[in-house]
Amino acid sequence: MSIWVLCEARAGGYRPATLELLSQARRLAAAAGGPVVAVAVGDDAGAAQALEGAAHRVVTVQGGHLSPYAADPWVGALGDVLAAEAPRLVLFGEGTRSRELLPRLAARLGAAAFTNALGLEWDGGFLLTRPVYGGKAYQTIRCGEGTCLAAFRPNSFDGGAAPVPETAFGEVQAAAVPNRVEVLEQLPRESRRVPLTEASQVVTGGRGLRAPENLALLEDLADALGGAVGVSRAVVDAGWADHAIQVGKSGKTVSPALYVVAGVSGAVHHTMGMDTAKVVVAINTDPKAPIFAYADYGVVGDALQVLPALTAAVRKTAG
Amino acid sequence: MKIAVLVKEVPDLEALVKVAEGGASVEVEKKRCLSFFDEIAVEAALRAKAARGGSVVAISAGAGTGVEAVRRALAMGADGALLVDDPALGGADSLAVARALAALCRREGFDLVLAGRQATDDEAGLIGPMVAELLGLPCVIGVTALELEDGAARVSRETDRGTEVLRTPLPALLTAEKGLAEPRVPQVMGLMKAMRAQPPKVTLAELGLEAPAPTPVAGYRGPAKRPPVKLLEGEPATVAAELVKSLREEARVL
Ligand SMILES: Cc1cc2nc3c(=O)[nH]c(=O)nc-3n(C[C@H](O)[C@H](O)[C@H](O)COP(=O)(O)OP(=O)(O)OC[C@H]3O[C@@H](n4cnc5c(N)ncnc54)[C@H](O)[C@@H]3O)c2cc1C
Ligand SMILES: Nc1ncnc2c1ncn2[C@@H]1O[C@H](COP(=O)(O)O)[C@@H](O)[C@H]1O
Repeated sequence: MSIWVLCEARAGGYRPATLELLSQARRLAAAAGGPVVAVAVGDDAGAAQALEGAAHRVVTVQGGHLSPYAADPWVGALGDVLAAEAPRLVLFGEGTRSRELLPRLAARLGAAAFTNALGLEWDGGFLLTRPVYGGKAYQTIRCGEGTCLAAFRPNSFDGGAAPVPETAFGEVQAAAVPNRVEVLEQLPRESRRVPLTEASQVVTGGRGLRAPENLALLEDLADALGGAVGVSRAVVDAGWADHAIQVGKSGKTVSPALYVVAGVSGAVHHTMGMDTAKVVVAINTDPKAPIFAYADYGVVGDALQVLPALTAAVRKTAG
Repeated sequence: MKIAVLVKEVPDLEALVKVAEGGASVEVEKKRCLSFFDEIAVEAALRAKAARGGSVVAISAGAGTGVEAVRRALAMGADGALLVDDPALGGADSLAVARALAALCRREGFDLVLAGRQATDDEAGLIGPMVAELLGLPCVIGVTALELEDGAARVSRETDRGTEVLRTPLPALLTAEKGLAEPRVPQVMGLMKAMRAQPPKVTLAELGLEAPAPTPVAGYRGPAKRPPVKLLEGEPATVAAELVKSLREEARVL
């Protein structure tokens, strides 16, 4: 009854989302019995030694056609490996890759598939929790006997499960699969920050920030916290920021440990994208703003004054 | 150019959702609409048709649902609509829905299939790429720009890592992200005509498919309630210091 985790490399190690899934997999495997298997493909296998202790087995999938990443060859390679091993669960961290690979692998394997999940427990079977109706309810699903592929929002699990005493490393050579989609241009996003959807601290601003230059106040606080910046749709519609950092129904869903939200009224379209944040701090001049109903701490005041004060206070305690 | 758009009928974003006592089921207010990203996909399909000629067909699958979704697409200007309507699709999992849609697409034959990036209810983002895989089509998800060439499509998308411009041969399946196209507001005449449309329906058996088992749902719960907000007021510097203290010592997130 093995639990597999697709491991995505980042900055010489692995994505925090990968590490927390491995941690949860070890926790569940201890109860359910059966090994945790870490699988890393192509360039992501380069750092595989870092997975010592994180899983009972590390499987690296190799083949010249697997780097750089492209969906067709990866689906082919992972499809073959998973079909041969028939794991019970395969866990992915939510992201562009999981969104591209997981459904196609599920279709190929005839496996159950769930995305956007937040919880995974064991009570003699695996129970998976995911939001439905845009987060207005949560559904728990009993995973069946067949293979189940599931993608989880980053920051869903605690990273601290005990390491395993021994890790076996193995390599698989993937059969070549042609890539049908040609890359014409790639413009990497210039950012010194963690991606918005993975950050454990997110600072979001809305129309209440009044002018585009005031978005710098969000950047300053995000820098002090080591987090990422988000905005409301009103800010995107005004042309102050790119849709890539919009939080909400028609933008990104975030689930950080700390969500600071300033000058955002708290429309349901916005809160649907942040409601699973652990701790929410809202800053708004209007004490009746709906956002306060979604917050743990609220500051009634001018974001243009409160944000810099908060940045200074965070820097003071950090320094 | 034959274009299909996969359209899902979902509860309106404002629809009330209530989890039943004990969490065995959930009750959803019957306010239904075409899913947000699917409306963008319909618009992109109509523009592709305007540029290259051909036809746009809206396709939806469900158990007695889907008519509202395809009617909206018809009102926007789609040429035709098809429904897979089967009681066994109620509570079916994504793969079963994808198999139904893929079977219908295979029967009809399309040069381009468009879907939404994700549906606004389950936010799963599963159906589009599943249908692509079942049909053996190349797939690009989260498309923000589309330009058709002879036998190919040039598309842009945003990934975790930045922006990409890609070219895929046709036929292909693309999923629509916000920014791809601004959906038009249907004309009154179009709306009236669409309201009377009775799109042809097929069952799973007619597509040669077996009835799937329902998703094994163990239960539901409502969103976790936050404790009442702790409101702070006063001098920004004082409030900020107080807040940081609480975030460190009480909430333990700093
Ligand atoms: C289909 C659909 C999808 C949508 N998707 C999204 C989405 O993904 N994300 C999203 O965010 N929205 C989305 N929206 C829009 C959403 O409904 C709201 O219109 C939007 O979130 C409002 O943005 P805002 O809170 O920044 O602006 P406003 O609603 O204008 O709120 C501004 C707030 O700032 C406060 N304020 C003013 N001055 C200050 C100050 N100096 N300091 C502090 N506070 C101040 C005001 O009291 C007010 O509460 C969507 C809407 C629809 C219909
Ligand atoms: N029942 C359905 N009928 C037609 N298209 C669907 C259906 N369910 C999902 N889709 C399409 O697949 C996309 C992603 O849906 P989902 O996987 O539910 O997030 C939607 O935006 C639609 O384009």
